[in-house]
Amino acid sequence: MAAKEGRVVQQIELSSLNLPQLMQLKQQLDQEIHMFLDTSRTLRMAQTKFQDSNDCLEKITPDSEGKTIMVPLTGSMYVPGRIANGKSVILDIGTGYYVQKDVDGAKDYFKRKVTFIEEQIDKVMQLSMEKSKLSRGIYAFFSSQILEVVYQAMYGSEAQKELNFAHPFTDNKSNKSRIYENGLSRRMVRQQTFGEARQ
Amino acid sequence: MVEEIQNKIQLEVDKYKAVQKDYHKALTQRQQLDGQLNENTAVKQELDLLQANAEVFKLIGPVLVKQDVEDAKQNVAKRMDYIRSELKRIDDMITSLDKKQDTHRETISKLQQQFQQIQPKN
Repeated sequence: MAAKEGRVVQQIELSSLNLPQLMQLKQQLDQEIHMFLDTSRTLRMAQTKFQDSNDCLEKITPDSEGKTIMVPLTGSMYVPGRIANGKSVILDIGTGYYVQKDVDGAKDYFKRKVTFIEEQIDKVMQLSMEKSKLSRGIYAFFSSQILEVVYQAMYGSEAQKELNFAHPFTDNKSNKSRIYENGLSRRMVRQQTFGEARQ
Repeated sequence: MVEEIQNKIQLEVDKYKAVQKDYHKALTQRQQLDGQLNENTAVKQELDLLQANAEVFKLIGPVLVKQDVEDAKQNVAKRMDYIRSELKRIDDMITSLDKKQDTHRETISKLQQQFQQIQPKN
């Protein structure tokens, strides 16, 4: 669903939005980026859990049968126990189902889970990157619009024409929601402003 | 006249807010179902990988009860079907609520225009 929304957002003509709308759009995007980061963090945590379980399995070998271990009853209380079966373990596969597998099968299960989560993280990260690119672009456009307003207030519409000519951002007729990379274009506008001011 | 329209707007806004609330509720419900479906799909995949003689347990309360692999598969499949039908129901509900929201929004803006038109005359 999020992906669908993303495509719709990209089709919106930036120049057709006014400043509050632009700001709102950027805020919305930033919120989504936050959500994606949260999601990837949660996924990472789940991945670590699976990885830990996998590491634990390394300790369970047929040799360990009959050996004593400390079984945690609570976080701080342990009782001694004996490993009754060193060949197989019971896995929680979700929704209340448990499966008995041999150690190799269990390792295989955890490996699969870890790669699965890795794939999900990649997907989320890619989405989040796209969104932050968009957000940066909108910010660049937004600040150029602000500068335009300021410029117009300072020098009137006559000077505005000159700036239009010089700078693609403020040329509204040909501006088909072009998103420029942040730094360069803004610096250009600023230099322009200073140059004019000195004259 | 002004008061009448104001009342109308208030009424409409209240309705709009109620619809919005329902909409959000439906959205969270949808998300929950989506999560459940994902979990069940993962379990189904895992069960499909098992051999017929594998040992499967179902957690009922505090005890693990042994279950047949086929039974477990069927159970999960049934649950997935149920969740899918629920998802469809919620999706339909969301689209209808979306439309409702749009109509409410339109009436509100129309009423606001009316309000602005008569405002200077008074």
